[in-house]
Amino acid sequence: MKNKILMGLAAIVMVAVLASCGKKPQVEIDATNAAITAAQAAEANVYLPAEFAALNDSMNAINAAITAKEGKLFKNFKDEVAKLEALTVKAGEVAGNVAAKKEEIKKEAETILNDIKAVVAENAKLVMKLPKGKEGAAIIEQFKADLGNVDAAVAEAQGLFDKGTYMEALNKIKAAKAKADGLNSEMKDALTKARIRF
Amino acid sequence: MILSGIAILLTFIGFPIFYPVPIPPVNELKYAQTALSLAEKNKSGNYSGELYAEAKSLYDSAMIYWQKENKKSRYSRNYNKVVMFAGLSAQKANQASENSRNNSSDLDIKIRKKLSALNDLVADLTRMFADYPLTQVVRSNISKGKFLIIESELAYKENRLLEAEEKLQESEHLLTTSYENAFSNLKNYFRSYPEWKRLIDSTIAVSKETNDYTIIVDKYSRKVFVYLNGEKINEYSAELGKNWVGDKRVRGDKATPEGMYKITKKFESDSTIYYKALLLDYPNDEDTANFEAAIAKGVLPKSANIGGMIEIHGNGGKGADWTSGCIALSDREMDSIFKIARIGTPVTIVGSMSDLRHVLNR
Repeated sequence: MKNKILMGLAAIVMVAVLASCGKKPQVEIDATNAAITAAQAAEANVYLPAEFAALNDSMNAINAAITAKEGKLFKNFKDEVAKLEALTVKAGEVAGNVAAKKEEIKKEAETILNDIKAVVAENAKLVMKLPKGKEGAAIIEQFKADLGNVDAAVAEAQGLFDKGTYMEALNKIKAAKAKADGLNSEMKDALTKARIRF
Repeated sequence: MILSGIAILLTFIGFPIFYPVPIPPVNELKYAQTALSLAEKNKSGNYSGELYAEAKSLYDSAMIYWQKENKKSRYSRNYNKVVMFAGLSAQKANQASENSRNNSSDLDIKIRKKLSALNDLVADLTRMFADYPLTQVVRSNISKGKFLIIESELAYKENRLLEAEEKLQESEHLLTTSYENAFSNLKNYFRSYPEWKRLIDSTIAVSKETNDYTIIVDKYSRKVFVYLNGEKINEYSAELGKNWVGDKRVRGDKATPEGMYKITKKFESDSTIYYKALLLDYPNDEDTANFEAAIAKGVLPKSANIGGMIEIHGNGGKGADWTSGCIALSDREMDSIFKIARIGTPVTIVGSMSDLRHVLNR
């Protein structure tokens, strides 16, 4: 009889222990949040927006799962801890990939910044050869204004590039290149029509 | 005694297990989360910012209330508020998604329309003002406006619609301001058209009456026309002063005067640096009266000089308005007009021989 009572008490103790043994994995949560913050600081939201959004989605899902389990009598955060650890690794990878993506964008911007120099130089020569027939002067004035704007855009893109804002620099220099190429074709057309060698 | 002990023990063990407890709102939260994630994918932050922010805030509230309820004894928990906030969050997130889709689709249409309208405006500007002396600021603004169109087109292609729209707005401002400025300038200039028309008709009539040559200079089209017996018999391309729009007011203003003049002297090649030249009687009486009135009104300083030596001369064909107010022809055309011109031949200089409507429809 005494043994049965002791067994009953032991069962109560076990229930109490099991109910209180699963603690919220705060350390892992903090580590994952820190990894996501680090990814943001590395500009993952700018260079890899989809991947960064996925990190946040996963974190929200884990938080909800943890909160759901916190309300249970028997808590076991083993799965969530594993997911948090995996997400921390993923956030680190995303942050690492940002550097690669940034480098890719930087190289693309750098290439166009170099390529445009030749077009700008050629355009400066072409504008001097443009036919000065009727209406020529005003058109040349407009070409000169357009070329001046391309120069300004190149300088702006270079400034953005030097500042390390490669995405903005790339967008700016792409537009400048498109404009410079357009002007190049227009001037070459005009010269060809006027049978002027260039 | 033993039985009651066992019953108490079973009650202690069974109560927490079998007593009904409220079900945590896991599914509701999951649904809200999915809706928020979808809203994010639909760029609701950009296109439906307020609703999306509201949805996120409601989700946060749901989570806070859930955590709050978790701290209570599991038998006294009430998830109604959590369910309510999660439901509202999902609802707002779905609305944000839908608005975002609609807004971005509307924006897409708006951008395409605006791009087309602005490209048309650039074409109009080019057609109407290609040879019009616009100020450097206006030319630069037109150029900036065109560049912004390219930037906008690139942003549009990469689905950066908000940026595309922003660039277009900037471009629209620059281009419409330039157009208004240039058009208002042109319109103001053409207010003198009735007077020009009177001078033209009178000059052609003189040619008919005298059975002789008269010359008309159309500044806008950069043409010099020769009339004989009221009929146009020849036309030449001309180059003018850099600031050819408007009448000449003072020496050094690089403007070509407007009015009725006569040839007062013919210079052969050995007497002019401009191949050959026909000197006009600028300033005539009307020019002098206008000049003196301008000085009296204080529009011109007392030290101003009316200028002179306005000629039709050679050395033209440069393709630019380069003279100090004279009318330059190519040497070949100068030879042609020099032959028929004599002292006293009327030369009428007008802004345009056509009215503004005709000029714009050319």
